[in-house]
Amino acid sequence: MIDLHGYGPRLAEGALVTIELAVLSLALAIVLGLITASAKMSRSWLAHRIGTLYTTIIRGVPDLVLMMLMFFGGQIGINMFTDWLYYQFDIDIFINVNEFVAGVITIGLIFGAYMGETFRGAFLAVDSGQIEAGRAYGMSQWLVFRRIRFPQMMRHAIPGLSNNWMVLLKTTALVSVIGLSDMVRVASEASKATREPFTFMLIVAVIYLLIASVSEWGFARLQKRYNVGYREAD
Amino acid sequence: MDALMTWLEAQLADNSIFTLQTFGYYGEGLTTTVQLVFLSLVIGLVAAVPLAIGRGSKRPWVKWPIFAYTYVFRGTPLLVQLYLIYYGVVFVEGIQETWLWVILEKPFVPALIAFTLNTAAYTTEIFHGAIQATPRGEIEAARAYGMSRRLMLRRIVLPSAFRRALPAYGNEVIFMLHASAIASVVTIMDLTGAARFVYARYYAPFEAFLFVAAIYLCLTFAILYFFRWLERRLLAHLKPASG
Amino acid sequence: MADTPIPLEVRNIKKRFGDTEVLKGLSLAAHKGDVITLIGASGSGKSTFLRCMNLLEQPDEGELIVHGETVRFKQTKHGREPADWKQVVRMRAKLSMVFQSFNLWAHMTLLENVIEAPVHVLGKPKKEAIEQARALLDRVGLSERADAYPAQMSGGQQQRGAIARALAMDPEVMLFDEPTSALDPELVGDVLKVMRDLAKEGRTMIVVTHEMAFARDVSSQVIYLHQGVIEEAGAPADVLGNPRSERLKQFLAPKH
Repeated sequence: MIDLHGYGPRLAEGALVTIELAVLSLALAIVLGLITASAKMSRSWLAHRIGTLYTTIIRGVPDLVLMMLMFFGGQIGINMFTDWLYYQFDIDIFINVNEFVAGVITIGLIFGAYMGETFRGAFLAVDSGQIEAGRAYGMSQWLVFRRIRFPQMMRHAIPGLSNNWMVLLKTTALVSVIGLSDMVRVASEASKATREPFTFMLIVAVIYLLIASVSEWGFARLQKRYNVGYREAD
Repeated sequence: MDALMTWLEAQLADNSIFTLQTFGYYGEGLTTTVQLVFLSLVIGLVAAVPLAIGRGSKRPWVKWPIFAYTYVFRGTPLLVQLYLIYYGVVFVEGIQETWLWVILEKPFVPALIAFTLNTAAYTTEIFHGAIQATPRGEIEAARAYGMSRRLMLRRIVLPSAFRRALPAYGNEVIFMLHASAIASVVTIMDLTGAARFVYARYYAPFEAFLFVAAIYLCLTFAILYFFRWLERRLLAHLKPASG
Repeated sequence: MADTPIPLEVRNIKKRFGDTEVLKGLSLAAHKGDVITLIGASGSGKSTFLRCMNLLEQPDEGELIVHGETVRFKQTKHGREPADWKQVVRMRAKLSMVFQSFNLWAHMTLLENVIEAPVHVLGKPKKEAIEQARALLDRVGLSERADAYPAQMSGGQQQRGAIARALAMDPEVMLFDEPTSALDPELVGDVLKVMRDLAKEGRTMIVVTHEMAFARDVSSQVIYLHQGVIEEAGAPADVLGNPRSERLKQFLAPKH
């Protein structure tokens, strides 16, 4: 058996942190992505501009830099805000930026930009005749979105969604640098303490591959569901 | 030059963070980042061409090992790969007594190895996809005109695949630039390393990281426009005449 | 003339895809200057037959003799394969093919397409190849499009360009695989005209086509294929003017 020098339970906890972080960030990213996509497709000049600025900046700066900015800068920013509250209104509160929350917000914010592009492309790929047909049968805007646009869009969005998720999963490793105890952090500490980097890093690599393979399978099933009525892409 | 320096110094007079010394850190960081990214991209590119050809081979003992390599390196975080190689090198028994230690002692080399292996894996898949997408008819024409496999690969398949791969490869270059930020984790003073140093020294996260973010943004745009220019030149053949 | 070898002869070609036998023992000899048209309904095997002639498809049985040289085969676990690929390469260089979908190489200009195989397969000096290519492009009426890329040309232009590319190999035999089927009707005429001119100057050609007027006016021999068998063959006046089999009569009957 592989000797984990007692790091087994911590490694398992770390893996759980990785998965939680990834899933919550994904949820945030999907919400932000849908908002960004609608902003970029909106007729409002301002919304369009803000959407474009957001995606451009996020996609032009390394994840790690954004994460550090958010994590180190975030605490100072919040302190400045609470100080201001204290001096102005005599309200005394202290908000501590928790690494986990900072991680979720940063990763969600980063991938919201990528999701925005994915969703925008997917929305545009839906045949406008489909939507017109919905309107012609007296469906409301919301009903058209819910019953026709969204399901049809998902067919086009799933490949991009799946791709973004795979990248997001790997990006979670960066939180180890800002001090969050995900599995990479645990493995890194264990490697240094035991001087056996191969054991721990390879275990972590295998766990990542496992999660990736399982999600690949899941996305393939999802794609099948949304592909109903279409020929399998060949 | 002197005039510029005095001007710059005057501008920075009231500023406690952006001193000439700080700019020096960023400048060195920029050099390190560019070296690291450029070297790994070039080596990775050269390695990816034969790997991509092998990846499409009919022989299982050629195809599967390459697939396993790209699957593992694309499926795990670069940070894990970097740790594995960096700690792996440091902790290998007896390595510190050998001549290898002279080059491996600095974290630059393990980082370069990790980055190269990573980008080669991604580039292999990009090229493989582009090679697979060669129109069947063009290959048939090459066979019908008496081209051998080698000649066909050299004259028809690869030149057309390289062009097709260009947009995806441009993304990979930007991806590597951004990914290189993690070099700072193994104490390399790259751009991000410089920003972390400035942050730690002055406890000024906004200045330190926003400034470096702006530099990365400029580099990203430079790469983006370079590839757009390249695409315009090399992908002209795909556009219809009118226009 | 007895000592000049026949440009292309195939004997008893058989080909199966899975369980269906698509070619059931076909033979054909193209003498110098022959224009042989292969006609038949889709699925009759005429394109497969043509593709067997330059081994784009591997026939399961049968002989292939190009300019007196018999192609050697060997049996492998994947079926029959040519024993010597160098021989195949040499043989293919003598048989230029023109495809239904043109298949010009998209990343090269028209001129580059035409000189590609002469320079890299035949080893012709580049300067000479360019001169020859320009003359050929002039012949097919495309001298002004030499520097255009395939995507920038109409289908008819691409096909005439592809014919110039085939001619540049100075082939013994030219194989045409439904060269006008992918073209808009108004572009067919230009391509057929080039092909008629080639026939007139004595090129040896084997043409798979649906153009009955071309078959009637130009060919020296018409072969009607049905389900992988040669049902009728002979001079166009006999085969097209006086069909014997019921199936060929039906095939030639004007469609409504």
